[in-house]
Amino acid sequence: MFASYPVAKARFDELLEDSSRPRVHWRGLHAELVATNPLQIRDRLGAAERQIREIGITYNVYADPKGHDRPWDLDVLPMMISAEEWESIEQGIIQRAQVLNSILADLYGPQALLREGHLPPQLIYGHSGFHRPAHGMQVPGGIYLHAYAADLARSPDGRWWVLADRTQAPSGAGYALENRLIVQRIFPELFQSLRVPHLARFFAALRESLMGFAPRGDGPQLTVLLTPGPYNETYFEHAFLARYLGFPLVEGGDLVVREGRVWMKTIDGLKRVHAVLRRQDDSYCDPLELRADSALGVAGLLDCARRGTVLIANALGSGVLESGSLLGFLPGLCERLRGETLRLPSIATWWCGEKAALEDALERMASLVFKPADPADRFESIFGQDLDAAGRAALRQRITARPERFVAQELVRVSQAPVFTHGGSIGARGVGLRVFAVATQSGYAVMPGGLTRVAGAADARVVSMQRGGGSKDTWISSSAAVDASFSLLRHTVGPQDLVRAGAGITSRVAENLYWFGRYSERCDDTARLLRVALNPALHEAEDEGNALDPLQALARRFGLFGDRADSPASSRLLLTAATAADNPYGLAANLRQLERVAFNLRDRMSADNWRTINQLTRDPLFGKPASLSQALTGLNRIITSLMTLAGFALDGMTRDSGWRLLSLGRRIERLLFQCLALQSALDEGVASGLSWLLELADSVVTYRSRYLSRPEWLPVLDLLVRDAANPRALAFQARGIRDFLGKLEDSFGPCGANEFVAAMAALDALDPEVDLQPESAQLRTTLAALTSACYRVNERLLERFFNHVQSHHWASMGRAPA
Amino acid sequence: MSESPAAARSVLYRVCHETLYHYANPVTNARQLAHLQPRSTGWQRVLQSEVKIDPAPGELDGDEDYFGNRVLRFAIDGAHDSLEVIACSEVEVLPHAPAPDSDSPAWRTALAVPTDFHAPGALDIMQYRVGSAQAPLMSEAGAYAAQSFNGNRPWLGALYELTRRMRADFKYDTKATTVFTPVADVLARRAGVCQDFAHLMISALRSLGMSARYVSGYIRNDRAKTSATPGATPSAASGTDPATEALTGADASHAWVSAYCPGHGWVDVDPTNGKIADTEFITVAWGRDFSDVTPLRGVVLGDGGQKLEVRVSVTAI
Repeated sequence: MFASYPVAKARFDELLEDSSRPRVHWRGLHAELVATNPLQIRDRLGAAERQIREIGITYNVYADPKGHDRPWDLDVLPMMISAEEWESIEQGIIQRAQVLNSILADLYGPQALLREGHLPPQLIYGHSGFHRPAHGMQVPGGIYLHAYAADLARSPDGRWWVLADRTQAPSGAGYALENRLIVQRIFPELFQSLRVPHLARFFAALRESLMGFAPRGDGPQLTVLLTPGPYNETYFEHAFLARYLGFPLVEGGDLVVREGRVWMKTIDGLKRVHAVLRRQDDSYCDPLELRADSALGVAGLLDCARRGTVLIANALGSGVLESGSLLGFLPGLCERLRGETLRLPSIATWWCGEKAALEDALERMASLVFKPADPADRFESIFGQDLDAAGRAALRQRITARPERFVAQELVRVSQAPVFTHGGSIGARGVGLRVFAVATQSGYAVMPGGLTRVAGAADARVVSMQRGGGSKDTWISSSAAVDASFSLLRHTVGPQDLVRAGAGITSRVAENLYWFGRYSERCDDTARLLRVALNPALHEAEDEGNALDPLQALARRFGLFGDRADSPASSRLLLTAATAADNPYGLAANLRQLERVAFNLRDRMSADNWRTINQLTRDPLFGKPASLSQALTGLNRIITSLMTLAGFALDGMTRDSGWRLLSLGRRIERLLFQCLALQSALDEGVASGLSWLLELADSVVTYRSRYLSRPEWLPVLDLLVRDAANPRALAFQARGIRDFLGKLEDSFGPCGANEFVAAMAALDALDPEVDLQPESAQLRTTLAALTSACYRVNERLLERFFNHVQSHHWASMGRAPA
Repeated sequence: MSESPAAARSVLYRVCHETLYHYANPVTNARQLAHLQPRSTGWQRVLQSEVKIDPAPGELDGDEDYFGNRVLRFAIDGAHDSLEVIACSEVEVLPHAPAPDSDSPAWRTALAVPTDFHAPGALDIMQYRVGSAQAPLMSEAGAYAAQSFNGNRPWLGALYELTRRMRADFKYDTKATTVFTPVADVLARRAGVCQDFAHLMISALRSLGMSARYVSGYIRNDRAKTSATPGATPSAASGTDPATEALTGADASHAWVSAYCPGHGWVDVDPTNGKIADTEFITVAWGRDFSDVTPLRGVVLGDGGQKLEVRVSVTAI
């Protein structure tokens, strides 16, 4: 298996200590691999993936909107690190975190480091990450840096170096955990016997520390995870971490500032937020005081931070440390702030904004790599060794013009580690290590392990998380006993957590669930209506009426013809509504609305659910002009998928308030449609027959089993209006809505159940003797009453639960024109 | 050179700055941040300053910002379809401008980096020397300024010349730019408003390695004396009494530049009017650029459009 593993040239080999012998801490894994058939490993990988998917933790759950699954980028072989070596990394990381935290405290406080000349003021003042409104904040516990990550690499002489510090909203801890959950299932015995320390404690420390440092008051402690939303590239990690840590996943619009405090908008009303673990960059966090064009932020968040009423991890403004320009100053800063030598050095880096450094860097250009000093200044790294004389001259000119924009960094040939190739053999790739630390009441704690990052190509010069690279789990071979029982996963969750189930549904989620219900039903109604209207068999129906008239009237009232409402209806218009992808009123448009709402609920959707929606919007029906028979086949397919979708909600969702809102959305939409359908039938009158109506209401079979006759008004209306056992009957839906509203009212107070009282009384009062006929005025009044009750309930729900997220916000700035 | 009698003594002003927002649909959850109350300086005394807000805010909090300006934060939770903010202050401005031809060191002195950052204000020199979003470092702007800053010219003379040259080279045109127009475009178009000229001049000075900051405030708009002052378009609110019209005609806030040279300290110049700022200028706030000192910026929840009206009156009392 190791036959193709290459000997390291001019780089450190993690696996081998000489050309054949593995290092001590790799021997266990090495022996296991030698003894195992590669196919077995592949089988285990497959089994682990399935298992993970079943418990809902997988890379593939959060498929992107285009329907492509996220590429599987995990290498199954863990990166091994000896306990002794780890201890020195750990100590180095802790010291670095302390130093960086002290720097933040100084920059956003007295700025003594600038006055004393330990840092050039222009370096900080010119950095786009230095946010002046954050100056003078009261941060709880004096902690600015709660979550810290450092990117490490090992040079050919075996020493570890820091390449970059992540101080703003470090990503990757969730990936590390996912990797662990999978890899430990692939090598279960080995994992046990090597006593690899578990990661769960680190996350528990994160959760408890945030709660411990956070201010208190106004109800139970609440920590939220703030995400920029489902369009963010690492959104799935946010969702995963939120679920694992038990924090509600919120977007800026879910939070509001009142009375100097931060609140989460839930369907139970506002809940005080005490801590915000953010995965959103500094400048986007508060449109009032930071970037005015940010639609993602929370207006007033910075003021709350200033007052110390909320813990924000990491503190706003901590991104100022994410700059290569700072690295060269750290040894001196460590001496000044802690009286210690920096244990874990940074790779040699110079900020060209200093004259001496600039001259030096220009002299040694060929051996250096040039990067932006400010991460906001996006340009690709420039490798001096790649440049010819002209290229070097051009670069020299570019740097001399604006030296403060550049840092020069030495190139490090990173170490190599074994990877499992697709062919089932073992190859080698360059690796780097992202290590994570979290501030606790007793100092910084380091995640025992981390995210090993794998270079995309065998000879890559840089290891990065960018596309093409992969990752590994990281195992520290420990000598100490490991507490294996500790985990934050569901099976260790206590009853106190279960009590919280269903609480904390944000208004945004609730609103999306409601509209998901409405749109999925609207799609179903649309597809059924079009199927009936396009069906040639309809004209052969036994009641021989002209069924197309009421159907076209219904389609027009239902909005399927859009602005062409005045033109004479035709089969052509119906066919277009069914099949044209770009028709803004037809089936495709309704399905797109459904998908849009579903996309906003992605963290609550199972992979199956999401896949079904994807299939719906990308149905071949909408691809090219379809014939009538193709359209009917396509509509059948779509109706089946929509029923599958309805099944997920019925079968797969917990009966909490969110589910109730989803169901309510479905029922309101269906009741509205049924009222509209009956109205059309009554208007077109006796000439049109009733087969189409039964077909539309999916009640043909029931009718035939009850009445061995062709459709007649009395029995049809009884079945579709009064029969409380028929899910398409008005009585069934109205009763359901009233009951659902009653349940919501138990928890949330008046939600509009009374709106249905009068309408339902009218429904009950219908007299079969006289009212189940097309001429009945009473029947028409009842339909109108039900319809307006639906609209009023809809409004009540908007006001009660969603109103505050209905509208968008904007920032306004005047200008000084004089 | 003899000073004009007007500049020889201090001037007392009453300044009112009215901002009115009309919202197409009612908005809620409004949070606003105001730089509307003048700061006190070595040459400016704020005798009185108050801000009236309608509807009355549920939260209101005064503070000092990072740059030492007075800032007011307020919030209105309930639905409202308009917002009126009226800031009125009484300010005494003392003469402080150096005569344009007074002695000053060679301009390169202004490039020096302070050797001791413990000295009060020393860090500020670097604070305002680096580029900022609206007044970035830009070699084209530097080249424009270098026509004045060359050889061994004295700093103040060069600064004054640049100020005059900008007044001559640039056309005041409210249609030429928006609040988002970058200074590179202002330079290319040779047109804009006071805010653009201030940003461009700051960019130019910084690009040569000097320190410059953005000043937001008001200018006494006495047309009898400075008839060519741009921006003096008659306001709808100006009085009909010809005796007071000249003094209350200013209708907007103004912006200019403060530049630094060791030995001289900060000197305010106005590229819009081509002059060194003195008692006819009332300072409200300063920062790196407009975004630091926006008179009123806010976020509201709402789904309609908004209409903004601003009126400024400056009356010598």
